[in-house]
Parts: sequence; structure tokens; C-alpha cells
Amino acid sequence: MRKALKQYNFDWMLWRTYEAGSRLSAGTKQEYDIALRYIPNFRDPVKEVFKAKAGQLFLQMTATYLDNIVNAHQRGKKTCMTTFCFSPAILYALDIVPVTLELLTVMMTFLYKRGTGEFLDYCNEAGFTETSCSSQRGSMGALLADIGTPIDMVVTDSPGVCDTNANAFAFFAAYKDLPFFQLNMPPWLVEERVTEYHVQDYKALIGFLEEQSGKKLDVDRLREILTELQRQDELINELEQYLSYKPLPLPVTTCLFIYAGRFMFAGMPIYTQLLEMLVNEGRENVTLLKQGINISHEKSRGFFCYIDHYTHSLRLWQMLEELNIGYSGNILSHFWADSNPPVVHNNWKEAAYSIKTGTLEEMLTSISAINSRMPMIKSIRGPYDSPYMWLQDTLALASMYKADFIVYNGTPGCRNTWGMVKLLAQDTEKAGFPTHIMYADAFDDRVQSWDATRDRFEEFLRVRRLL
Amino acid sequence: MFEELYTIARSINNEYIIKAKEQGALCIGYTCSYFPEEILHALGIIPYRIKGLNVSSLSIADAAFGPFICSHPKCLLQHFALGDYSFLDGIIVTPGCDSMRRIDECIRKTAVNLDLPVVPPFFFHYAVPHKITEYSVKWLVEELHRFIDSVSAHFGLPFSYEKLKESIAFYNKMRKRIEELNALRMHYPARITGADAVAVYVAGLSMPRDRFYSMMESLLSEYTGTDLEDRKRVMLIGSANDDIDFIKTVEGETAVVVADTLCYGPRLEVDYVDEEDEPLHALALRYLNHSHCPRMYGGYKQRLAKVVEAIRTAQVEGVVLQNIRFCDLHGAENGLIERDLEKMGIPCLRLEREYGPLADNERMRMRIDAFLERLEVRRLVCERP
Amino acid sequence: MIVAGCDIGSLTTKVVLFDGKKIIASSIIKSKPKPEDGAYEALQQACAIATVNQDNIVYCVGTGYGRKRVPFANNTISEISCHTKGAFYLYPNVRTIIDIGGQDCKVISLNTHGEVDRFVTNDKCAAGTGRFLEVMAKVLKIELQELSNMAKKGNEAITLASACTVWAQADVIKYLNEGISKENIALGVCKSMAKRVGVLVNQASIKRDVCITGGVAKNSAVVKELENLLGVTIVKITNVDPQLTGALGAALFAYQKAGGK
Repeated sequence: MRKALKQYNFDWMLWRTYEAGSRLSAGTKQEYDIALRYIPNFRDPVKEVFKAKAGQLFLQMTATYLDNIVNAHQRGKKTCMTTFCFSPAILYALDIVPVTLELLTVMMTFLYKRGTGEFLDYCNEAGFTETSCSSQRGSMGALLADIGTPIDMVVTDSPGVCDTNANAFAFFAAYKDLPFFQLNMPPWLVEERVTEYHVQDYKALIGFLEEQSGKKLDVDRLREILTELQRQDELINELEQYLSYKPLPLPVTTCLFIYAGRFMFAGMPIYTQLLEMLVNEGRENVTLLKQGINISHEKSRGFFCYIDHYTHSLRLWQMLEELNIGYSGNILSHFWADSNPPVVHNNWKEAAYSIKTGTLEEMLTSISAINSRMPMIKSIRGPYDSPYMWLQDTLALASMYKADFIVYNGTPGCRNTWGMVKLLAQDTEKAGFPTHIMYADAFDDRVQSWDATRDRFEEFLRVRRLL
Repeated sequence: MFEELYTIARSINNEYIIKAKEQGALCIGYTCSYFPEEILHALGIIPYRIKGLNVSSLSIADAAFGPFICSHPKCLLQHFALGDYSFLDGIIVTPGCDSMRRIDECIRKTAVNLDLPVVPPFFFHYAVPHKITEYSVKWLVEELHRFIDSVSAHFGLPFSYEKLKESIAFYNKMRKRIEELNALRMHYPARITGADAVAVYVAGLSMPRDRFYSMMESLLSEYTGTDLEDRKRVMLIGSANDDIDFIKTVEGETAVVVADTLCYGPRLEVDYVDEEDEPLHALALRYLNHSHCPRMYGGYKQRLAKVVEAIRTAQVEGVVLQNIRFCDLHGAENGLIERDLEKMGIPCLRLEREYGPLADNERMRMRIDAFLERLEVRRLVCERP
Repeated sequence: MIVAGCDIGSLTTKVVLFDGKKIIASSIIKSKPKPEDGAYEALQQACAIATVNQDNIVYCVGTGYGRKRVPFANNTISEISCHTKGAFYLYPNVRTIIDIGGQDCKVISLNTHGEVDRFVTNDKCAAGTGRFLEVMAKVLKIELQELSNMAKKGNEAITLASACTVWAQADVIKYLNEGISKENIALGVCKSMAKRVGVLVNQASIKRDVCITGGVAKNSAVVKELENLLGVTIVKITNVDPQLTGALGAALFAYQKAGGK
């Protein structure tokens, strides 16, 4: 790794950048316009985020997330490296600071033209395999090279769902000789013994977290967080209703804010605030019959059945707007509460979670169910055509959100989806949804340049007459 | 005897299975070493560890699997699609790794897409946990119950715990024989090549076990050993391998693989099933603990300790760490093992390879030769005054 | 006594004749579809230069991917060992060798005795090998030898998808169509090559002094980019064509095996 990169911690650098970015709209418009001139490399992502009224709050929230990480030890807190598909609610309940690899990777790929290339490469130098998913490697490389906040423990819930994800965390823990805990997911969702297994596993997790943090789980704190989550679910439900409207009354970045916020701050008031802002904007636009998305008219609507593309400047979202494509979400923006519109619409209560805040046992059952319904954890765990798995979810969501086509985008490291995405695409095509498989890497432009990715996407739209 | 074992190991079907089936025997294939064969044996079913050898094209497999997938499950799928496994009455798919667990839907959907009757009549997804805890062992015992109920009902076979105990005892006896074979490998000087040993293991996974046991007994009583004194003693670690020719590539003319952790074989220790314990519990414990597989996340230190112990016992001079491209589990753990063994002064070679029709033995040959030359120099250095 | 080293690579076949004190002749030819023919031709050329008869050669070691197809070889030794031997002979202070050949890239770490300590190689991919540069030169419609000079005239390198030669090729075509100068594209190609090799070097852990061998060592633009990336000066072997290092090492081994000291 270049010496220059080792001069300062990468998470500190990100924190200062996002912190500065979040203040950009604090002044007058003139001051904002002038400031943009001085940040040629950050101008585009800033402009894209600020298209949404909640954009400034989103940047602030991101800065807060990074502040928590960078200053965790000074504040007497432990840091826990974890994955985006593990709900951080329990960590907040135990006053542990989550360090979510995929989020850090995206925070960097959004802003920096070079992305996380050098950190990805450093993983190779450390002996890690280069075929593993870039979402973890992008920031893991920096942490392996000790240019980030030291990590106290490692937790993942992807065993049984995503090997390459779980493997990255296991590697890091072994490399640094850190305490490690895995929540292990059976290939099914709704059986009683599966629920029992989830709860036992989750209790063991809490035991681990208590031991590592030296703190005991505060029942009232947990109740507070679950109550906040209930409120957040209500807001997300309303947003999901709006996402099925035509025209879309919400900005194109709405789903990104929903899931990124949830991965960062599930159960915390700052995320509720963000959702409330999004809901208010949606309500306002619905009342005024106004489009929230910045396009002349929606030519067609896409559903991303997996993840988005996270390279520089939120280019994916820019492209969708330029092409007049409506965006109706992806696998990451759904959390499967029992009140959630797709759950209610399809009568899928047995596959959803409900939040009960009465006894400790009820709360533990609820939080383990919330975790086991996290994106990917719910639907990528078993054969894709099994009940409540990926195919069923994709078709239901694409229908409900009135998608005209489906897009798969992932990374070459995604073993479990590349193991059957062609089969999924066959089924979604049969169901009447033109389906495009992107061969790009959502976190690494070096695999397939953005230009080539965009060319192919546009070709798909043209050939399938979606424009 | 070795010739016959080589033939069985290198082919998909064999005369023993054909004969047994003609006499009404059932045969069920499984994808992963986690599955306890004893259960099938107790039901009178021949267990068969599915192999991917001798595939010349992946044209069908590539239509189902994406490009970024390990070639081993692709070869398995190609075989199924071509009907090479039509002799199987059932298949047990285990989530050994993501690529392998997708074999489930890939076989089913390929059969539908190509309108081929290639899905075995009995199809079972056997969920093995990724860790060892009281509740994960309990889960696995429940899975075994579920399997027994399912297979008994499907084939109308009564299951008996007495028969299971007998099968466990029989398998332990077989493990004793395998242990004797392993001792020949680890002996100084080695008395059997790694290729020969692997031929025995793989053949053993491909034929009726009672017959295999008799062959093992004869082999061990008749075998006089072979002179491998000058060969460099190498350990092989990494991705699944049923291909004897790969072992031959590693050994060449100047090395011998004295120990390995590969899953088409006993790995470093045979690990007996506790015959005093409740049988399903004993099987669940043994098979979960026997794993030397990075799919058991968080178990690196214990695996490394076993490797180091085996290096000392078998007087290993160098370790070859191989993974099939896109095998992230071994691809990553090999990096840790290399780091830690090199720190201890044990030379390592990391190899990334292909499996099946894309296997590139020449490219590997060069790297292995260079590594063996390094070991040769180490021997000379040790002799330096 | 005269010995020979014959290195059959994917792109070129090389022979070095050595008399115990110095290289008396060498040859580099394009590899033939039948390696044996290439080996004979290279040997004949070298013998003609040295005005010796092939029968005068007492021992030959074959190396390279085609080492087992050298019909006159008495022994074969891996190119890793041969490159190490050759580089150490030419520059005894070397402790890291970067060998970028036609179809692979190797980084070798040596100890003070000139013995291989560790080595890492690229796996399966043309990116980071001479093949990558060959493909790109073809797209730019220039000879491979012109690539370095063209790159040196560039002032703003384009970014290539460096992970895959096929995608990088598509990118180059796109840039050409957009009117980007060939010089800047060539510079981007060399930078991309250096990045890929740099990852491998860092995996092997760099120890000074570092030298580069193999055909790509002649591309000074790639070498310069590597130096910038790794933060070290790379020793260029100037007294011998760097492509001959492997064959020289093989000849040195041949001399040892023939009883020479």
C-alpha cells in the first residue's frame, strides 16, 4: 500500500469529509454554489444526495456514524466489526459501536474516484483471496493495514446465507486474533424449530456481546430500541406505499436512504428523524400530485432484485434519472415487519416478524426474528425457489411496485447468487419481467468500467423496448 | 489390487455398484463429507460420495451456474445432466459451501429446462450448521431424525437403532484400517504414495462398504510397501479433491504427499464415533468435529493446531496449500496458514487451480517443481557445516 | 567446457552458452508451435554466433514452460530457480526479482545465498503479463516495442479496468473512439500493468535490492510506474538482455551439474 495512504486513518478521513459535506447546505445558496467550485471531486455525489430534502440529514447521519467509530475508544466504548445484514439494534442496546464493513466501503466508493482499490489490493497482500466479495474487502483492507479504528470483536450472521461474507469476517478475526461470533442461519425460515434455533443462537450472541463489552443487557434500553424500531417500521411502511405510486412521489435516492439508514442506525432516533423527513416529503408530493423523482416522465420502472451499484458519485441514480427510469427498490430496502405492505398484501405473516416489548423473552424472540429477516438473511438462505425465498420475494415486490423490468447487480464474489441467478432470471422472464444480469462489480469499477456497465444496461433497455 | 482401486476411483460407476443394483440394492449419492454414511449403511443403502471426474465440457453446467463459481460443483452438475448418475436412487445435498448448496436448484432446474429425467427420485437438503454448540448439535440430531423419517418413508425401509449401532461399529473398524493406511503414509520413510492412498480413499467412497472393507484387509495384509526414502515429504491442504492425477502432479517423481486435509478422505485423523453414546448424538458430534473445513467459521486456530501436529508427526518438509479458483473458504484460510507456517519456518506453496476440463496441470507443475527445488535446497542447507 | 541453458517460454525461446567465466553467445527467437523446433533453432543460432559445434556442449539444462520439450536437455529446472540463479549472478545484491514474462508474472524473494526464499505467481489471468501489453499494443496498432516510448509522451493517463484484459481492451477502443491521444492511452496501459504487478509484489513482501527480468523489463514506462508505486528503485540489468536471465540461470545450473564450480 502506498505510504501516503498510511499517513492517516481512512475512517477519520471519511468522517471529516462527510462532516464537512453535511454542513454544505447550512449557509446560503450562494455560499453553497461557491463551495461546490472548491470540491470538484465531491461535487457530483453532494449534488445527488441534496436532491432529496433529507439529503443533508443523511450526510449528517453518516458523519455521526463515522464519528461514533473514530471516537469510540475515547468514549469508553467497544467496537464491533459486523456486516450490513446484521441489525445493529442489539449493539446499540449494549452500547457497542458497530463498524460495518460494507457501509464503510460504500462511503468511500461514493466519494473517491479511485474507490477502495488500494484497500482491495491490500487484502491480497495480507493473504486473503481476491475472488471474495469486494463489499467487505473494500474497507477490510484498510483495517487489516491498521489504518482504521482498532476493532475489539467480530460478529457476523451470514453463515448459512453467504459464505464469502462470513469468510471475510472469520479471516479478519483470525488474522487479528480477535473474539469472533457467528449467528448461523438454517436454510428455512418459518418452521418452529428454525425460530427456536434463531432464538437460542441470538441468546448466545448476547452472552458473547456482554462478555466482550463488560456490560449487561439493559432490558429498558432494549425496549426503547424496539419501540423506536416499531415507529421506524410504520414510517417505512408508508414510504413503501408511496414507492408503488405512479408517478413516484419520492426522490430517486429514497430506497438508498431507507436501507443505509437502517443498516447504520436501526432503533435509534436519528434514523427515525430521517424517515420522518422522507415521509413528509412523500406526503407533500402526493398531496400536490408532484413527482419526487427528477425526470420529465417515467418511461419505465426498474426493480433491482439484489443490490445497487455503488461506485463514484451515485452514478447509478444519476443514470436512472437521465434515462427517465423510475426506481422501485431492491432486496436491501425491505425488512419484513408483519405490518409491511408486501407482507400484508401477500398474506405472508408467518414469514414476517412482529415486535413485542412485554417480557424480556418476547423482546429476544422479536429481535432475533428481526435479525433473521434482514435483507439477504431472509431470502438468500435456502434454495431460491423455496417458499419465502428469493424468487418469491422478487416477483412479489416487482409486481407490487409496478416494475417493468428487473435488474440483477452484485459482485463477482457473490458465490451464492452467481450459483443460480441465471435460473432466477429465467423464472422472472417467464413471469413477464424482462431481466438484465449485470456482470459488473457493485463496489469495484476495475472489474467492469462504469461506461461499459452503463452501455450494456442501456442496450438492454433499448433491445427490450423499455425506453 | 491397486489397479482395481484406481479404476473404481477414476470412474463414476463401477461393477460393484452395478452388480449390487442388479440384486436390488439402493444407492444414494451425497455431496459433502458431513453426511454420516452409517445411516445409509444401517438402512442397507450404498452411500456414494459424488465425484466430478472425467468431464470434458461444462456446456450444460455453465447454463445454470454463473461464471464466478468453483468448477467442482459445475462438473457434478454436468455429470447429472448427462445422466452419468442415473444409477443413483437419491441425492443428499449439504450446504458445504454456497456453490455446492446451489447444486440443489441447479440439478432440479436443469432437468426441467432440458426435459431430462436426471433428478434422482429421492432428493434431500441436509442442513449442517457452521459451528459446534449444544444447540447446533441438537439441530443436527433433529436433521438426522428428519432424514431417517424421510428416507425410510420414501423407500419403505424400516430403520433400526440396533442396525445403526452395528453400522457405527463397522465404520469404526473400517476407520481402524484407514488409520493403518495413514500410518504407512506418515511413516519415515513413507511406505505408500499419496496418490495410491487417495485412490484407496476415493474408491472406498464409491462402492459397497463391506466389499471395500474386505479389499482394505487384503491390501493391508499383502502390501509390502514401496521405497520412497528420498522423496520430499509434503502435506496437501485445501479444496475438495477426488482427482488422483492432481496428487500425482504434486508428487511427480520427487515428492510424496504424506498427509492431507482433503475431504475425499479421512483427513488428518480418522476420528471414531463414540459407540457408548446415543447413536445419532454420537454421529452428529463426530461429523461436526471431524471437519477440517473453513466452513466452520471461527475454528481456524484449532485447525492450524491439528496441521502443526501432523507436520511434526509426519515429518513434513513443506506444505502445498491449494484452492480451486472461486473457492473463497480455502482461498482465504490458505493465506492464514501460509503466514503462520512460514513464521514457524515451514515452507509453503500456495496454488490456485482449476478442477475438471479446465485443469491446468502444466502451469501447476512449474510452480510445484520450483517449490520442491526450494525444499531440496533446504535439505542441503541443513547438511551445511 | 561449454554448457547451455535453454528457456522455452510462451512467446520467445532463448539459449545462452556459457564457458564458466562468461556468456559466449545467446539467442532469442519467437517460440515455435513445436517447442523442439524452436529449441533447435535457438541453439543453432547461438552456436553460430559462438562458432562452436553443438557437440561441444557438455551439459544443457532446460527451463521455462516448455522445459520438458528441450530435446537436448540433460536436466530440467523450474524457471523460478533459473531466473533466481541468473539474476543473482548478474547482480548479487538482488533480494527481490520481478519477472514478467509473456504469460505469467512471478515475484521471487531471495536469501543472501541467492536461493529462493518464497515466490508468488499470478494465477490464470493475462492482466499483469506480457500478453496484456501485446493485446493493448495491437489495439493501438503499434508494435509492442513502441509502447514504452509512446507512454512516455503521455501527460494524463486514462484509467483502465485493470482486472481483466478483455474489459481493458474494450476500454481502449472506447477511448480511441472518443479521440483520446494514443500517448495517454499507452500511459494508462502501462500504469494498469504496473498496478497489477504491484499487488503481486506486495504479496511477496519487497526486500531491497529489487530487479526486474523477463521481456517486460524492456518496457521502461512500466518499470518507472512500478518504481513509483512501490517506492523503490528497480535495478535494471543492463549487461545482459533481461529476457535471457532464465536461460542464463539454466546455463549456470548446467555448469554446476557438469562439475564446474
